Amino acid sequence: MASSDGIALLRRAARRAGRRARASAVLSRITLLLPLPLGYAVLVLTLVKALRLDTASQLGWWLLGVVPLLVFLAGVSRALFTRRSSWLGSIALDQFHGFHDRVTSALSFSQVPVAERTPLMQAAIEDGVALAGSLDPRRAVPIGLPRELGVVLALLLGLCALSLLEVRSFRQLPPPPSFEPMVMSADDIDLFRDVAKELQAKNDDPNALIAVRRFNQLVEDIAEHRLDRHEVFQRMGELERDLKDNLELDRDARDDGLKGLARELEKSGLSKAAASALDEKRLADAEKALRELAEKLKKKEGRPSVAELDKLRQALEKASRSNEERAKNIDQRRRELEEEQKSLLKKKKSDQPDAGTSPDLDKKLADNERRLEHLDREKNRAERSQKQMSELDKQLAQAARDLMRDAGQSAQDLAQGAQDINRMAKQETSEEQKQELLKKLQEMRELMRQQGKGGKDQMQRLQKFGQRARGESGAGQGQPGEGQGEGQKDGKKEGPLRLGGGPGSVSIEIPVPVSQSGDGQGQPSGDKPGSSEPSAGANYGNGHDSNLAGKATELKVKTTDVTAAGADTGQGAASSQVIFGAAERGFVGRGYKQVFTDYQTVAERALSRDEIPSGYRFYVRRYFQLIRPRE
Amino acid sequence: MTEAEQAREEVAEFQKRIGALREEIGRVIVGNRDVIDGVLSCMLGSSHALLEGVPGLGKTMLVRTLAGVLGLDFSRIQFTPDLMPADIIGTVVLEEGAGGARQLEFRRGPIFANIVLADEVNRATPKTQSALLEAMQEHRVTVGRTTHVIEEPYFVLATQNPLEMEGTYPLPEAQLDRFFYKLQVPFPSRDELHAIIDRTTTAQHVEVKRVLTRQQILEMQALVRRVPVARHVQDYAIRVLMATHPSGEEAPELVKRFVRTGASPRGAQAMLLGAKVRALFDGRFAASIDDVKATALAALRHRVLLSFEGEAEGVAADRVIDEILKKLPGSKE
Repeated sequence: MASSDGIALLRRAARRAGRRARASAVLSRITLLLPLPLGYAVLVLTLVKALRLDTASQLGWWLLGVVPLLVFLAGVSRALFTRRSSWLGSIALDQFHGFHDRVTSALSFSQVPVAERTPLMQAAIEDGVALAGSLDPRRAVPIGLPRELGVVLALLLGLCALSLLEVRSFRQLPPPPSFEPMVMSADDIDLFRDVAKELQAKNDDPNALIAVRRFNQLVEDIAEHRLDRHEVFQRMGELERDLKDNLELDRDARDDGLKGLARELEKSGLSKAAASALDEKRLADAEKALRELAEKLKKKEGRPSVAELDKLRQALEKASRSNEERAKNIDQRRRELEEEQKSLLKKKKSDQPDAGTSPDLDKKLADNERRLEHLDREKNRAERSQKQMSELDKQLAQAARDLMRDAGQSAQDLAQGAQDINRMAKQETSEEQKQELLKKLQEMRELMRQQGKGGKDQMQRLQKFGQRARGESGAGQGQPGEGQGEGQKDGKKEGPLRLGGGPGSVSIEIPVPVSQSGDGQGQPSGDKPGSSEPSAGANYGNGHDSNLAGKATELKVKTTDVTAAGADTGQGAASSQVIFGAAERGFVGRGYKQVFTDYQTVAERALSRDEIPSGYRFYVRRYFQLIRPRE
Repeated sequence: MTEAEQAREEVAEFQKRIGALREEIGRVIVGNRDVIDGVLSCMLGSSHALLEGVPGLGKTMLVRTLAGVLGLDFSRIQFTPDLMPADIIGTVVLEEGAGGARQLEFRRGPIFANIVLADEVNRATPKTQSALLEAMQEHRVTVGRTTHVIEEPYFVLATQNPLEMEGTYPLPEAQLDRFFYKLQVPFPSRDELHAIIDRTTTAQHVEVKRVLTRQQILEMQALVRRVPVARHVQDYAIRVLMATHPSGEEAPELVKRFVRTGASPRGAQAMLLGAKVRALFDGRFAASIDDVKATALAALRHRVLLSFEGEAEGVAADRVIDEILKKLPGSKE
């Protein structure tokens, strides 16, 4: 082997060994220093998990971790970049192979210029070169696993295990929202059920019936405790809103349509009566007037003159087109306004941005915007009106067409128009019922609101009151003052005396003073629920004593039992007596119903006439609701 | 034949001669291979050795044998307190010539030999010791106005008894530094003792024969000087030397604590020369770090001066040097 090649070989081997030595040193340094940041991380993680540190504290601890990390990086960098002896690799090779520095010396002497080399140097070089083939840098500088690797691995495993550990933080969860159903007393439920039943019976308009059904469903849901307070108010709000919106829009649209018709029909003397009725929204009168006009046209005698007929024709024609024209007018105005608005916006854009826009232009734009909105609303009304009046318009147009040709046919058209007005009148009735439902809904909402303020106590009182109002004695326990009948224990109270008990007979109640020192022989009267058991002790009885008349005398005479029964005249006792009786027995009975109706009518009249604050109104109405007659 | 091949042959011849030398000495001296190599190293390094050991370990025998196999003049000086410098150097005497003329003539002392054994050198007064050491250093003696050159090769072997300190004059540090090596003669092992007894208590008498000529010795000494030392080896020797100083950059804790003064540059010279000799002993062409390590103890132990604390603690210089060699890596990072 040539000396230069041999030296190159030696140098390569030495370099490789040097690199390995450096790598080994770096690895060793890494494993030596890595436990520092790892240990710190383990410590911090343990603190975080064990002490459940908050985010700010955690951040502080982690930031402090920069110090061990920097120490680690500095140490590793130093191991990596420290300048090492150029003979590091060759010395390692010599030491491993036991060459007594023959390789290193050869490399060292090879750097001496050839001229300056001594024979012994040359011999040393050749000696080293001869060893080149046997060099094994890999074995000479093994990159073994550093001793500290175990510690590093243990720390890494610990870190992983710690990071996987779940930190159980005990957070106080808010209690689940409890469902508190909206409670309404059974008496009030009955009241609103009755209202729904009544409205359903009165109504034949499908829309109104749907609304009533929704109301009824709401009442049933409340009765079944399926809704909480929030849901009840939500449902009521939705129902009220739906009713109100359609109601107002339809009514306004119809009024507009009718006024338009009235304006045109007023121009003819023949249709003036109908026009006047339509203008005043007296639909029944308008129907009647139109029917009369139709009759007039049918008759051959006393028929209107041609001029009158022509005027009527014109009026009918114009009336039939009034709604359409109104809608067209609104549309036209709207289009013009839109054009104007567009041109104004264009002008605003073309103005210099620096100069700013003039305040007049802005004002005009805003005004136009408002007017457009107004026209949109009007258009909506006109369209609704056109829709509602479409049939009537058609009939009137047909009547106008037929008037000059065939008066009879025209009269028939007018009669059909009158029928359509009748339909509208019926619709108005349905609207009134919707209004009624709306009113009931408002009452119900107010009632709920008031009950919400009263709390459970009020609810209990109401339930008790409801029972008493229905004449129930409270689960048949015969509480004092609730029973009726003779022979009560204490006779100071007055109780009505009921005469006549046979089948088909009429009972007459006469209030009589009852001795307090009675025997307490109350018998079940059977006319009240829960009173079938005779009460004992201090409680009053509530029925008749079979021995009331005492033991039958055994007279040796022929007698015939006669039952005397009075005729039901409906007159009954005085109102005060009826009311007094109702306070004792509950709000039942025909007499009470009559008295109640009288009073309520007066009250309603007063409420509608006088200016009474809405809060008071509620109390008055509520009072009458509570004392209403029960079945 | 190229110069390299010639050099290779020279080294081989050196090795052969050393082999013969060792073999011949080994016929008389039992064991003590390190001491023999040490002595030979000193001689081939053109320097002197201090042998330390208890009496009866064959120190004088070794020197005598060496002188015998080398065929060189040998003189033995038993140092005593009353020994005067003139006793070893020689003196000028008045002599009467054949014609009756009288003249001053210098009579050479025992120091004028190729191999001088200065037995128990620490028993002489410093003045006498100084005279010896001056001759050792300069290889010449000046008496009056005349300088007398000592014939080469010149090799002084001094011995001292470490036990008997009473009535002795321990060599001052500066003079100790003149010795190339300080060799400690160990007590022989059991087997070695058997061999010693066998050889010395029977009728057999071993006559050593001369193995090398004066010229050959000089050639060998010259070859030693020609052995190259790579920079890293020299650097290592210097680092070891500097580590013996408490203020040295790489001085271990033991040095900092127990050493008063480190070795002089002669220590590095001794280590490297000794390393060269060892390389040649092994047939190598250049000294190595291992050679330096092997010679460090003998070359430095008498040059490292312990502090009072070190002496009080009973710390030996050998321990300090061992510590340095152990801690000092082969190459500085």
